[in-house]
Amino acid sequence: MNGPIQKDVGITFSKVNKWYGALHVLRDIDLTVHDGEKVVVCGPSGSGKSTLIRCINRLEEYQSGEIKVGGIAVDSNRRNIDQIRRRVGMVFQNFNLYPHLTILDNCTLAQRWVRGFSRSEAEERAMHYLKRVRIPDQASKYPSQLSGGQQQRVAIARSLCMSPEIMLFDEPTSALDPELVREVLDTMAELAGEGMTMICVTHEMGFAKQVADRVIFMDDGAIVEIAEPRDFFDNPKEERTRKFLSQILH
Amino acid sequence: MPAFDWGYIWEAVPDLLDGLVVTIYVSFLAILLSLTVGAIGCALRVADHKILSFPVAGYVEFIRGTPFLVQVFFIFYGLPSLGLTLSAFWSGVVALTVWASVFHIESFRAGLSAVGKEIQNASASLGLRSWQHTLFVVLPIATRSALPSSLNTIVATIKNSAYLQAIGLVELTFVAVDRIAYDFRSTEMFLAICLIYLAVVLLVSAAGHRLERRLNRPYVGR
Ligand SMILES: Nc1ncnc2c1ncn2[C@@H]1O[C@H](COP(=O)(O)OP(=O)(O)OP(=O)(O)O)[C@@H](O)[C@H]1O
Ligand SMILES: [Mg+2]
Repeated sequence: MNGPIQKDVGITFSKVNKWYGALHVLRDIDLTVHDGEKVVVCGPSGSGKSTLIRCINRLEEYQSGEIKVGGIAVDSNRRNIDQIRRRVGMVFQNFNLYPHLTILDNCTLAQRWVRGFSRSEAEERAMHYLKRVRIPDQASKYPSQLSGGQQQRVAIARSLCMSPEIMLFDEPTSALDPELVREVLDTMAELAGEGMTMICVTHEMGFAKQVADRVIFMDDGAIVEIAEPRDFFDNPKEERTRKFLSQILH
Repeated sequence: MPAFDWGYIWEAVPDLLDGLVVTIYVSFLAILLSLTVGAIGCALRVADHKILSFPVAGYVEFIRGTPFLVQVFFIFYGLPSLGLTLSAFWSGVVALTVWASVFHIESFRAGLSAVGKEIQNASASLGLRSWQHTLFVVLPIATRSALPSSLNTIVATIKNSAYLQAIGLVELTFVAVDRIAYDFRSTEMFLAICLIYLAVVLLVSAAGHRLERRLNRPYVGR
């Protein structure tokens, strides 16, 4: 084929629907997230934000429509799932570190078993990313010996060790004490500055304004509004968005 | 009543040691087998299919709800009429295994529930297969949480082997009771075997606690 090479777009949702039993939790989701784009997802509790991003790396299944990551369909095909999980990292509200492993071993386990790195390679890479999140000195400690903010930065480093092209964040700061939120958001902002594709579920609106290319508002399983941060905050089109913003901004 | 006689205990030591060897042997086999049955039973107990979990739940309730001595008698005196005759030794191994396994099943199950469901998402998102997650994450965490109560069961297995004197197994308690029948030195003999049981139990607990400390280092938040 001739002509300019069309780079595969990062993530596409086409008419995605999901139900938990009778509960319709994703309704006709259409969304494209381009390579390098940063998207913030917000919305009331139970609106389907976590479900939306968990479908991207198949932590959840969906019943109709299609999601593609880098051109690969997210379906039940084991090879597709493996390839997608190789490209997509995820950070959770509760860190989900391995409590029985040191910080270093938390970062090397999957490198060794999924990527096949030797112990020394894996440890070198782990130290590289622990430096990036500014906690190399904690490498030999266990998760319970770290503050929440440090644990979340370890979780970010652990994901980065797998060299993902896309990072998903599910309310990464909502389990943290207020004074620890900043350090995690700073780490995420740095990552964004380096060109990582990111989807963040968060209610940190300062972060959204600073980092996001687009903000998505979800309600009742549907995307109600997508806009650039300035329009989203200063000039929301939908009544539901306005109501939500007035609730969380004060 | 004759005065307490240490010399008598000393004379009995060789016989008591013979009994102790049998006690240790029967307990050791039962501990290994009950841990194995416990692990398999636990895996079935937590299976999604009721066909697998239900019989195990019934087994646990039944064994926990009946006296150990009755179980011993049933296996030694009752099973032969069902066509299965076991020596006193193997009846003892089987009875202790059956009894201890249900407590291991329950403590392993508690250990598993301490792992939590969410951490599986982390492993999945990192690309780990579920067998890798089970092997490197679930089992190590579950083992650590199950250890204290399984250690209790292990110690109780050793102590419960004393019941096996009732079916004529020549273990430590049998030796003591047998000598008392001839020499009437019950104070000396019972004190002697108490001390021997205590020594064995303390040794086993000390080893267990060492293991616990080693494995639990990560949780000691210091
Ligand atoms: N495993 C599940 N089984 C049944 N229903 C579920 C399950 N997980 C989530 N739900 C329901 O699906 C809906 C969407 O949940 P989801 O976790 O995606 O919401 P959310 O927007 O992330 O909310 P929050 O802000 O509270 O995290 C909710 O009504 C929730 O109760
Ligand atoms: Mg959520």
